[in-house]
Amino acid sequence: MEPLISMGVLALIGAAATIAGASEDLESDVGSQSNANSQVQLAPQMGYVHRIYNKAIAGEPVSNALMCTIGATGALVLIKHFGFSPLFALVIGSLIAAMVHGSYSVTAIMGREASQARFKQPIYLDLIRSHTPVIMAFAFLTTFSVMIVSYLMVYSLMHPFPFVLLCFLWGVVVGSVGSATGDVHLGAERQFQATEFGAGLNASQSGNIVRKAESGLRNGIDNLWFCSKFGGPMTGVSFGMVVFLGTWILVVFDPAEGNLEGWLSNILGLVIVIVLGIWNWHIEKETREKYGPYKEDKGEEVSA
Amino acid sequence: MTEKKMIPPNTLLAFGVVGGLAGVYLAYFLAPMNPIFVFFGALGAVCASVWGADVVRRVASYGLGTGVPSIGMLALGMGIIAVLFGLSLGLGPAGPLVAFITSCVIGAIIGIISKKVVGMTIPIMVSATTEIAGAGALLILGLSIVIAGSLDFGVVVTEVITTGFIMMIYIAGGMAMLHPHNSNLGPDETQDRLLALSAEKAGIAVVLSGFASVAGMGAIAVTMLIGLFIWYIFWGKYYGFVKRDAYKVIDVGMLPTEEEMQ
Amino acid sequence: MIDIVGLIASNLIWILAIVIGGTFISISVHFIPVGGAPAAMAQATGIGTGTVMLAAGAGIAGIIAAGAVMAVNQNIWVVIGAAAVGAAIMLAATMIVATWIYAYGVGVMPVSAKVKYDPITKYRQDLYVSQGTEGHGIPTVAYVSASIGGLLGGLGAGLAYYALMKVSTLPVTNLNLVAVVSTFTIGFFFINSVIPSYNIVGTIEGFHDPKFKKWPKAAIASFLASIPLGILAVVAVASLASVGGL
Repeated sequence: MEPLISMGVLALIGAAATIAGASEDLESDVGSQSNANSQVQLAPQMGYVHRIYNKAIAGEPVSNALMCTIGATGALVLIKHFGFSPLFALVIGSLIAAMVHGSYSVTAIMGREASQARFKQPIYLDLIRSHTPVIMAFAFLTTFSVMIVSYLMVYSLMHPFPFVLLCFLWGVVVGSVGSATGDVHLGAERQFQATEFGAGLNASQSGNIVRKAESGLRNGIDNLWFCSKFGGPMTGVSFGMVVFLGTWILVVFDPAEGNLEGWLSNILGLVIVIVLGIWNWHIEKETREKYGPYKEDKGEEVSA
Repeated sequence: MTEKKMIPPNTLLAFGVVGGLAGVYLAYFLAPMNPIFVFFGALGAVCASVWGADVVRRVASYGLGTGVPSIGMLALGMGIIAVLFGLSLGLGPAGPLVAFITSCVIGAIIGIISKKVVGMTIPIMVSATTEIAGAGALLILGLSIVIAGSLDFGVVVTEVITTGFIMMIYIAGGMAMLHPHNSNLGPDETQDRLLALSAEKAGIAVVLSGFASVAGMGAIAVTMLIGLFIWYIFWGKYYGFVKRDAYKVIDVGMLPTEEEMQ
Repeated sequence: MIDIVGLIASNLIWILAIVIGGTFISISVHFIPVGGAPAAMAQATGIGTGTVMLAAGAGIAGIIAAGAVMAVNQNIWVVIGAAAVGAAIMLAATMIVATWIYAYGVGVMPVSAKVKYDPITKYRQDLYVSQGTEGHGIPTVAYVSASIGGLLGGLGAGLAYYALMKVSTLPVTNLNLVAVVSTFTIGFFFINSVIPSYNIVGTIEGFHDPKFKKWPKAAIASFLASIPLGILAVVAVASLASVGGL
């Protein structure tokens, strides 16, 4: 394909991937899925009954793979068997995925809180009614964006994998990325905002999540509001980088033109990894200098 | 909570194996007469999913140390490889049985390797991986015949693998097996609630497979309706069990007060 | 009926390649710094995801790259190199953003609790661990370890993909062949990342972590497990060519 057109398609894919990453993380923030969920799950056991949407659908990578694959199945069936235009098919496929995800979310929170009956954790139906549509909306966005990435890769950039398979694969990757990046903002910061800024979670604070909000009781949508300021967009940038940089090196040095080009694209990829490593080391140095140590060297402890 | 009577593992194993194989073979032999009969494969898949969900529940209670999704992905991974191998041999009606047995054998090998080489100490590890691989294979066979209309290798490749629908079977079927344990995690987990949820999620997978079927509009409509029916019935059962087991199901409320928490 | 023994004998080199690929995948999982749920609470060093899923995410990025490259260029080193780099880029992009969030969102510095001095930067570690935690963030040694893990894992996945593609006499652009091989590779990859996760049992910080010394057990386990899997995969893929209409 003509290189400039490829770059244009790639830019579109990168933008869609950024949206997918952001909405994936925000969806998991509303429902407190994945890693941060372990604290929400622990809280009633420590006596901290809460009004947070305790959804856990087997981890974000699997959950996102599920919604993206279902969306892709719906879209492909509509395109192939019913002759729909891809524009409509992708939207309706995302709708189907959002509905299935809604069903999984509702059963997850009900099941988990029913299994915590001995800790006197009630199931609040109004919480389910108000949060589930938000979760479904973000699931719709994630599925739609991932499907755009996969569709363009398959039909424009001529990737040989099947469309549904590629959606599954990107679903796993977006879940992995979101779980590794955005969940930290929820888990280490928002969920424990009552503790002083600038330290990791002290093990003695386990389970003591913030349950009371600025006015009233904290719920998932409050957490979503906070994380949408930083965690969500950062996850978007992360997944966008994964998709864009991973594909960019193949467009700049197209392996189709020969082995030398193939090797140059691999070397360019390595250079990117090294540059990001240097950036990581630089932040490590900077934070150590700016924030300073927690303890004195002689065993005197400065409180964290 | 009072101890409910649990369904013994061997009953569920018989249910899964007999139900799964019966479903797949009924669909296999009846589909050439009228494609509508592929829905038997879907019913077989639901039986296999319920069996698999109970195996996951039993093995995860020992503490896998690595998260429940991993064993689900393991099971379906083994299932896919074994099913494709079994069908590729071109043995006709013996194909599905060979696929199922191959999957169980691979599951046993991986279980033995995990125990002897990696050193896992879960007592039921080998039987668990064997059972879950077998359940995975039956699930894939059941839903594949729904989508493809037959288990002829060429048809399965073009209609299920090349389209990518195999990944939908993989993840939706896998989730029907591992979501129930994960979503009912807690000290007051009950088996009947978990199995009802597995059947409900399998119903969703059946609806999707029916939608993707190439066996004709009749098969699509019948399978989707059966799937919706299964989903609806077991969702009702699940919600009933939730209300039975939960501390309180209330519409709107504040957190319990200090007195209530004593 | 097909001649299973004949198929195995004529594809022995590719079966070996698949088994080696599986072993590499298994070893690579030990390099990737996984902090699990505690890392998401800044309670442990590493990336805040489960072992299997992070390894799967990286390997999958590698498989996507391998698929894209193999369709246009069949040189083995270019293909597996692309897979390795694809996996490493996924981990690198994830880690840098995680570091941003740790540094600016949570206010902690990357530090390991398993060693007193970082083996690569020689920075002091224990004074910078916040109270009650087991380290947080991704120090340089963990980053380097993850990059090695990504490269190795992508290499293994790419090797398995390449070998399986070469087994069949169908052209590499045949979409049915690509679909079957990629499905197999995904299943194969998942199995070979679950086995080392059973070995690691929870979290690992990378090659400087004491748990890293357990890697031979997982390598042997994956080697043994990949042999029957490789044979099954090769038989199934090789018989694709003899099925009409594909």
